[in-house]
Amino acid sequence: MKLLSSYFKEMRIAARGFYFYIELIMAVILLVILLVAVNEESVSKQKEFLYYDMPPAVEDYIIQKEVEKGALKLIEPTEFKMKAVEFEVENRETDELTSYEFEKEIYNLVTYEEWDPDTGKLIKTAYIAETEEQMIRLAFQERKIGATIVIDDSGERAFRYYNQGYETERLVNLLYILHNKLPEVVEASVDNQNVRKLGEVQTLNNRENLVPVMVVFMGSLMGFFIVVAYIFLDKTEGVIRAFAVTPSSVWKYLLSKTMIIITTVLISSSIIAIPVLRGQPNYPLFYLLLIISTFSFAALGLFISSFYDTISKAFGVLYFFMIAMMVPAFSYFIPSFDPLWLRYFPTYPLLQSMKEIIMVSTDAVYVLKTSGIFLAGGLLLFILANYRFKKTLTV
Amino acid sequence: MISVKNLSHSYSNDDKLAVKNISFEIEKGETFGFLGPSGAGKSTTQGVLTGLLKQQDGEVIVAGYDVKKVQNERFNKIGVSFEQSNVYSKLTAKENLDYYAKLFDVPTRDSVELLRLVGLDGKENDMAGEFSKGMKHRLTFARSMLNNPEIWFLDEPTTGLDPAIAATIKDIIKEHAAEGVTSFLTTHNMYIADELCDRVAFIIDGVIKLIDTPKNLKLQYGQKLIDIEYTDNGKIVKETLKTVTEADRRRIGEIVNNHDIQTMHSKEATLEEIFIQVTGRELV
Repeated sequence: MKLLSSYFKEMRIAARGFYFYIELIMAVILLVILLVAVNEESVSKQKEFLYYDMPPAVEDYIIQKEVEKGALKLIEPTEFKMKAVEFEVENRETDELTSYEFEKEIYNLVTYEEWDPDTGKLIKTAYIAETEEQMIRLAFQERKIGATIVIDDSGERAFRYYNQGYETERLVNLLYILHNKLPEVVEASVDNQNVRKLGEVQTLNNRENLVPVMVVFMGSLMGFFIVVAYIFLDKTEGVIRAFAVTPSSVWKYLLSKTMIIITTVLISSSIIAIPVLRGQPNYPLFYLLLIISTFSFAALGLFISSFYDTISKAFGVLYFFMIAMMVPAFSYFIPSFDPLWLRYFPTYPLLQSMKEIIMVSTDAVYVLKTSGIFLAGGLLLFILANYRFKKTLTV
Repeated sequence: MISVKNLSHSYSNDDKLAVKNISFEIEKGETFGFLGPSGAGKSTTQGVLTGLLKQQDGEVIVAGYDVKKVQNERFNKIGVSFEQSNVYSKLTAKENLDYYAKLFDVPTRDSVELLRLVGLDGKENDMAGEFSKGMKHRLTFARSMLNNPEIWFLDEPTTGLDPAIAATIKDIIKEHAAEGVTSFLTTHNMYIADELCDRVAFIIDGVIKLIDTPKNLKLQYGQKLIDIEYTDNGKIVKETLKTVTEADRRRIGEIVNNHDIQTMHSKEATLEEIFIQVTGRELV
């Protein structure tokens, strides 16, 4: 009863304060970003500038063949307002520098679009320059790759690329292989590669893939910070001293704070997760992990705050913990970066478990194991925080 | 109701003691004043008695409970009115009292009735954060009465209040004393102590210098004085003379016989004057 009274009192205070709304507003903002700014699938709208260094009849023949195959589609010419500019181009093979100087002018370029016949999505837009200089200038101004297509001695198409200079060696090598090796060599090489699937791999789209990160970092870490803010608010107002002279136990006071954080996190996480994931996740596991992880991080926040009397003194430690807990996000977004030490960060299994929950084929054992470890850790931290607060509640 | 034996306390856990080996007993229904200047050890003693500070040395029994042992139920018998107002600013006055009322295991008083008692009627649904300092202080004072405490700790209960409200608070304290509530009043205001307390203790530098009733202290240390204002060659002259010394008594006679008396008042020594006389220190 005392616990419930404290919880309802905390809820009332939270609803009248701004921390509660910060988290909810943040959740709404993140949801809007996810729905509006993040595409479900990666869209690569590549632009390239081409110059066909060959007789017009040959150029027309090559392009017409592509159009007939359905790969290219002629659209309205595109206007480019070119700025006055001076720059140099270095030849990678000879190190020879060529200087260019242009005045302001307007180009109207023949434009083709390339569409994926399977997905019906736009792959790239190709702009056909009238001269090589025009193509080089466009590549420079638009910061895109440009290419001159020539017919070599053997009658095959060859490409001379104009890069920006910051491309990786890997991309440059890829361009060498793709166009400057004989196509049949590449084809033969690809045909000889035997690729087998190790299992049915389910992937998340871009939006779904961001949800675990948002839920874990905004939920647990914000909860961790806000519970500390609530404690110091009480210390500043002196109400902790008034609580300390009532028959209620300290753990009820601490748990009521934690329950508020859990409530806030459940609401804010639902705001993000439900519209994006709809019926996909295993919601019982989702909410179980969310409650347990928030409880654990709130207990950590309580434990840390028991060592300080003002939030400004605690801020350095809080900041360190929050940054440290964000490090596993690198591994989440760059799977090739997955050192063993990173797996010991609590947010690492939390992120992976959240991802598992969102997958249709959830590994429930892994999620339950993670929940169990977090529950044990959270309880231990809560007991320690309770012990510390009993000694320091009124200091 | 309260028994303190050889209590010492150090904030730094060393030999720098804020309270040094003090002992006293308070009977049921007694209003006991703990008087001293800032930093004398008043709040430290009250902190240990209320459980806000950990008891280090000595023996402290409050309402039959050994303070050293953690027994939360003892707070059902205790009320504490803090010097610094400490209420939830984002709750209304009534919500503040109703919340704390639910934390007790004993029947509690009606929050609206308590607010009316301290002159906050009509302010029940106002946010405590919008209250003036005096109103917050009254709300803190009202909260201390929620559980009908048998022992009431009052830390500077009238500080910062206007005279009318201070008089109301003093009346409430007197009513509780009449009902048998034991009060431990911490203050540096000797007039309030004189008016409310059955006994007072003078504490300075963590040491209790004396404990007695205000009446006995005045009899023992006080001297009856007479303030006389008279005209002398057209000028008004003021003198304070003791009624107990022969020379002063003769001087009073001379003034009365030879001068035109403007005003003449007899007065008792105040507790403050006695405090200065006993401790050699002022109540600052």
